[in-house]
Amino acid sequence: MQRREFFKKLGFVAAAAAVVPSVSFAADAAAPKGPNEFSFEEALKAITGSKGATASDKIKLKVPEIAENGAVVPVTVEVDSPMSADDYVKTIHIFATKNNNTRCIAAHLTPANGKAMLATRIKLGTTQDVATIVELSNGTFLTAKQNVKVTIGGCG
Amino acid sequence: MRLAVKTAILLALCGSLSMASEQFSMSDEDRAMYEEMLENNPAEIMIESGGELFEEYCGGDAALAKFLGVKEDALAEYLAGFPRYIESLGMVAGIDQVLQALMHQRGHKPFALKSSEMFELSSYVKSLANDTAINIDVNANKHMKEAYAFGKEVFEAKRGGRGLSCLSCHSKEVIGSILRTQPLPDFRANNTAGTWPAYRMTKSELTTLQKRFQGCMQNALLDVLPLGSKEMNALEVYITERSNGLPIAIPGLKR
Amino acid sequence: MSKVKSLVKIKPKTYKNGDIVKVDFVAMHPMETGMRKDKATNQLVPANYINNVKFIYNDTTITTMNVWESLSTNPAISISMKINGEGSLKVVFSDNTGSVNEKSIKIKPKG
Repeated sequence: MQRREFFKKLGFVAAAAAVVPSVSFAADAAAPKGPNEFSFEEALKAITGSKGATASDKIKLKVPEIAENGAVVPVTVEVDSPMSADDYVKTIHIFATKNNNTRCIAAHLTPANGKAMLATRIKLGTTQDVATIVELSNGTFLTAKQNVKVTIGGCG
Repeated sequence: MRLAVKTAILLALCGSLSMASEQFSMSDEDRAMYEEMLENNPAEIMIESGGELFEEYCGGDAALAKFLGVKEDALAEYLAGFPRYIESLGMVAGIDQVLQALMHQRGHKPFALKSSEMFELSSYVKSLANDTAINIDVNANKHMKEAYAFGKEVFEAKRGGRGLSCLSCHSKEVIGSILRTQPLPDFRANNTAGTWPAYRMTKSELTTLQKRFQGCMQNALLDVLPLGSKEMNALEVYITERSNGLPIAIPGLKR
Repeated sequence: MSKVKSLVKIKPKTYKNGDIVKVDFVAMHPMETGMRKDKATNQLVPANYINNVKFIYNDTTITTMNVWESLSTNPAISISMKINGEGSLKVVFSDNTGSVNEKSIKIKPKG
């Protein structure tokens, strides 16, 4: 997915698009990587621009410390927010920081959700931090992360 | 030479077993997160499909009850006693084999035991007995007695390249030890017979207990026994008996 | 275009107007990353994953999502929703191959 398309889908303003680094993808095309290759650092920059995100305990990120398998890892993000018309969580992003494509899901919420909560299951290729970036309606960004040990093994 | 190799392998196995490493033990909080996932088990959709297959190919509850010779309102309890000796089939059979016979009786080509259709269909039918206590009677008749004894024999038989039996990794002594990062299960505490068929996360599939036995055998280098064979059914009888009294709760969610 | 089976559930099953409930969505979808090799053919299995999900409550889109291939096969997604009247909740989901599917359930608040 081209970076511009990624931004359009996130409903970004032209200003945000301006901070997109003009890196050519020709070099990437040669390496046998997935078409959506994207690093967490790139995502953080793309989403927050120069603002960056602040670690916050308003975020409750729930992932297992030890994941029994890498195919189905439960993740839940809850954010302490009134979800009112003038103070709500706009987007909850979830990232697998070491996956080839770090992006897992970006949920664009509205006050109609009543509560800022997103739960899903993701694939983790290896032990890594699972991170979340939360965009608030006031334009600020919060973040949280937790390490997940992925066990590979089992019989059968 | 062979004995030396076998001993070496067994010692290595015991070595890795005793390494009940704390780092691989999931915490209670972690366990709770996995249990929560039972709420939205993808296998629920597969079982719904199984329900459609049941109506279309088997004629639903009424037809199955009639085939089994039980009243419809007694069907759930009867299903919770499988595998059973089924007179019309002349053997101790699983629910899937009964469904094959029923499909055949209704003029359809029966689904193969290893097909995803059969996994969906038999899972749906077993789910009719959800919340019902498992009540397999291993002394019901001489066939069940034989099956139980044979099942124990199969469980304890040392076979294959490493000279392992099911008992090697599933004896009382090693329950809880960590082998290849997973704690060895207690079949009763885990209610194994009551939580299969299950959605296997590493395969993204709904599979049966016998299919799981096959995976185990493959990894232990034992010849894989065919689904529905006398050996496999006997093994299932033997393992199911350990869950007697515990409720059926499917689809389960397993690694 | 083959239909992708899915289910949508509300928890708890009984609710009133003003309650905030949990909406669960599960779909039968392979979520192929495009980087997995088919063991039989030794060829890469092409990417095939849900990339967009919309939750529409009585004609109002309350949540939209961008989804990528890192979600587990047969993905499950849950959000919260404030009950605000009888009607329906429709979940529309599409994948990178252009396939679009949907599932609707009735919303019936008790009081």
